[in-house]
Amino acid sequence: MEDKRVLIVGGGLEGVRSAVEKAEAGAQVTIVEKFPALGAERIPRDRLIKPDDAFVNPELDKVRNHSNIDILTYSDLKKVTKENGTVKTKILKHSLRVDNTKCNDCKACIKVCPVNMLDDFDEGLGFRTAVDYCNPNTDEYNIYKEDMPVCQRTCPVNLDIRSYVGLIADGKYLDSLAIIRDRLPLPGSIGRVCPHPCETACNRQYPDEPISICFLKRFVADVEIDEKIEPVYETPSKKLSGKIAIIGAGPAGLSCAYDLARLGYDNITIFEALPVPGGYLWVGIPEYRLPKKIIQREVDLIVNMGVEIKYNTRIGQDISFEGLRNDHDAVFIGAGCHQGLKLRVPGEDEYEGKGIVDCVTFLREQALGKQMEVKGKLIVIGGGNAAIDSARVGWRMGFDEVYILYRRTKKEMPANSWEIEAAEHEGVILQYLAAPIEILGKNGMVTGMKCIRMELGEPDASGRRRPVPIEGSEYVIDAETIVPAISQGADLSFLSEGHDFNLSRWNTFEIDEETGATNVPGVFAGGDVVTGPDIAIRAVAAGNRAALGIHEYLRS
Amino acid sequence: MIYEKEKRYIIAFDDVPSPRAEMPEISVDDRRGNFVEVETGFPEALAVQEAKRCLSCRRCLGCALCWAECKPEAIDFDIPDEELDLEFDEVIITKGQDNAFHPLKPELGYGSYADIITDLQFERMLSPTGPTDGIVVSPKDSEIPRRVAIIQGHPEGDENHLLSSLILGVNESILALEKTGELNVVLVSPISQSFKEQFFSDVEKISGLQIVEGVPESVVKKQDGESLTLTYSEDGQSKQEAFDLIVVLTKPKISPEIKLLSQKLDQGIL
Repeated sequence: MEDKRVLIVGGGLEGVRSAVEKAEAGAQVTIVEKFPALGAERIPRDRLIKPDDAFVNPELDKVRNHSNIDILTYSDLKKVTKENGTVKTKILKHSLRVDNTKCNDCKACIKVCPVNMLDDFDEGLGFRTAVDYCNPNTDEYNIYKEDMPVCQRTCPVNLDIRSYVGLIADGKYLDSLAIIRDRLPLPGSIGRVCPHPCETACNRQYPDEPISICFLKRFVADVEIDEKIEPVYETPSKKLSGKIAIIGAGPAGLSCAYDLARLGYDNITIFEALPVPGGYLWVGIPEYRLPKKIIQREVDLIVNMGVEIKYNTRIGQDISFEGLRNDHDAVFIGAGCHQGLKLRVPGEDEYEGKGIVDCVTFLREQALGKQMEVKGKLIVIGGGNAAIDSARVGWRMGFDEVYILYRRTKKEMPANSWEIEAAEHEGVILQYLAAPIEILGKNGMVTGMKCIRMELGEPDASGRRRPVPIEGSEYVIDAETIVPAISQGADLSFLSEGHDFNLSRWNTFEIDEETGATNVPGVFAGGDVVTGPDIAIRAVAAGNRAALGIHEYLRS
Repeated sequence: MIYEKEKRYIIAFDDVPSPRAEMPEISVDDRRGNFVEVETGFPEALAVQEAKRCLSCRRCLGCALCWAECKPEAIDFDIPDEELDLEFDEVIITKGQDNAFHPLKPELGYGSYADIITDLQFERMLSPTGPTDGIVVSPKDSEIPRRVAIIQGHPEGDENHLLSSLILGVNESILALEKTGELNVVLVSPISQSFKEQFFSDVEKISGLQIVEGVPESVVKKQDGESLTLTYSEDGQSKQEAFDLIVVLTKPKISPEIKLLSQKLDQGIL
């Protein structure tokens, strides 16, 4: 019989001990450790020591010299599946970037390395360079060059944050901006509104607080405006053939156009249903968070690259989708999620437009400067960023009182904490654990709402505790305007009837994750119309991805 | 970026901890009835200061100075990563070398004062291959301390946690006392029953180590440059003592990847 094959995850004290045990019992052992060296030279936690027997671990020598033990250091377990008692794994062994058969241990590399960073192996007590002399027993060096630092890896478009932040520290603001624009054409817009997943990952949060990455991006974008610099986005002189249509001038469509233009395509048209660019950035994010002039400037720069935007052109109405497709070599759909979902309570349909208006419409009308009745009390229903935006907009418009009604508690609110705080700060009143059950009205106008109090029950699929109505706790609140902001959906009515697209159960496009291609040849999709309502930077990432997908499609 | 040679800034780490820059805003009174942008943007000096806080994690810049300097040409940025497909009959999951620990309550001062360190940092300090070659010094001023407290960071912890952290604390004391003349170490922690039964008689013989069965409450520094004042309760009484260096005993935390793996394979962590 073959030897038993044992995988040991982790090369610390416990891992090394188990490896010796298993190997001595005849098994074939593999240790996978993510650090570049095994680390069993520790102070014991299970017995008292004599001063000279700490940091000595005889098992470590056994592990290194045992013929039945393979050591995979600087390695990650990427994939594990269990089938019929066999565990199949995919292991990534990172390159050391130093050939240790050639290295003569002169340490010249360490002397010249300009990098000075906290030594993670010494728990941050000392410093080291990017050349890591890691192990006195094996004399192995490695150069700590990760593919990406954690911030860059977390950013949906993989912005080279470390470089652009470093350049700001150097005072080289325009160089910093150029690095951002290498992947993101909207630094001023995204630098204002991004919920910055990168900061959530930032390693600086452990000693104190994460770097304010997002606002630094905004800073360099603003420098260019303050200095009145008009950048020109270069496009290659060699042009590529291919007529490309993009539906929607939101972050997904704009970044797709930007990347295609930089690849050399010069026949790109964006079809935009609204009279303004930016999609949700313009009609969903209020002016006080993102001034329209910032979006306009960034869009102008893209238009200057030779991208055409046709405004007030709604696909499915002004041009049929089939017509558009027949007239172009490739189509990208970045139509977003611009349909506010309904509460589905009695009275909602009856009073629609008579005091009840969904958040998408409410924010859009305000952004486009439409007149709206501002009187009395405004109640926004929901707990996401769109709810907070609607309430803060209502407060600015001059409603006497602005309420947000949310069925769970502040802790479960999906909105960004800083937005919730700002709303509270401005005087928006948040009421938790309540939900509407009926819209009330008189003489054809909304007069209020019947609500019911909720309590939190067991966690649901989202991991949040499910709100449960408390029987008999109904109450009525007065309101002149009610804005449901519970979620948004994609409006796919622009597609021809009997279309062939594969759609998800959420009424969004199903696409190839690598290329953004839909199942219909030559048609790509990305952004909210694929993911459902999501953050802008992920739509930008989808635009980047589809640009490469389209390029590949057109060139093959 | 790899073979590009460019001079770059090198960060000074003397600003840890320091809070992040706050975004300036217009006042609430100025917002009502208009849509003026609330956040006004970082002024230049603040932006540069904030950018300098970046730790530039794992930051090989690709400057290639090492590559140019390496006589035997051992450095090669193009050595690829390897992907291996391996099969096993058994998997043993350990917590590995991830030294993550559960958050410590802020009253204990870790993160606020440079002369408060964790047991993991103390372990590195005591190691002959560590940052100070095994000498006990205060990270604040590199002075050799005379009075060191080792305090329990998780007094509410279970029997197992108390036992292993107490043993570690005592072992670290043994090493520190061996290496440092005229040192006093005071260990403040609830004492687990099994520790009392198995180790107490040996521990009592260690000269220079005093064990206090108590609960650490707070550490403060009344003035900058002064020594640390530890407040702890012993037998329901609140007591205060001054120290040059304080070591906090931490409680290990299993990393999310390891937890996920353990869930996936439906087996425990060794």
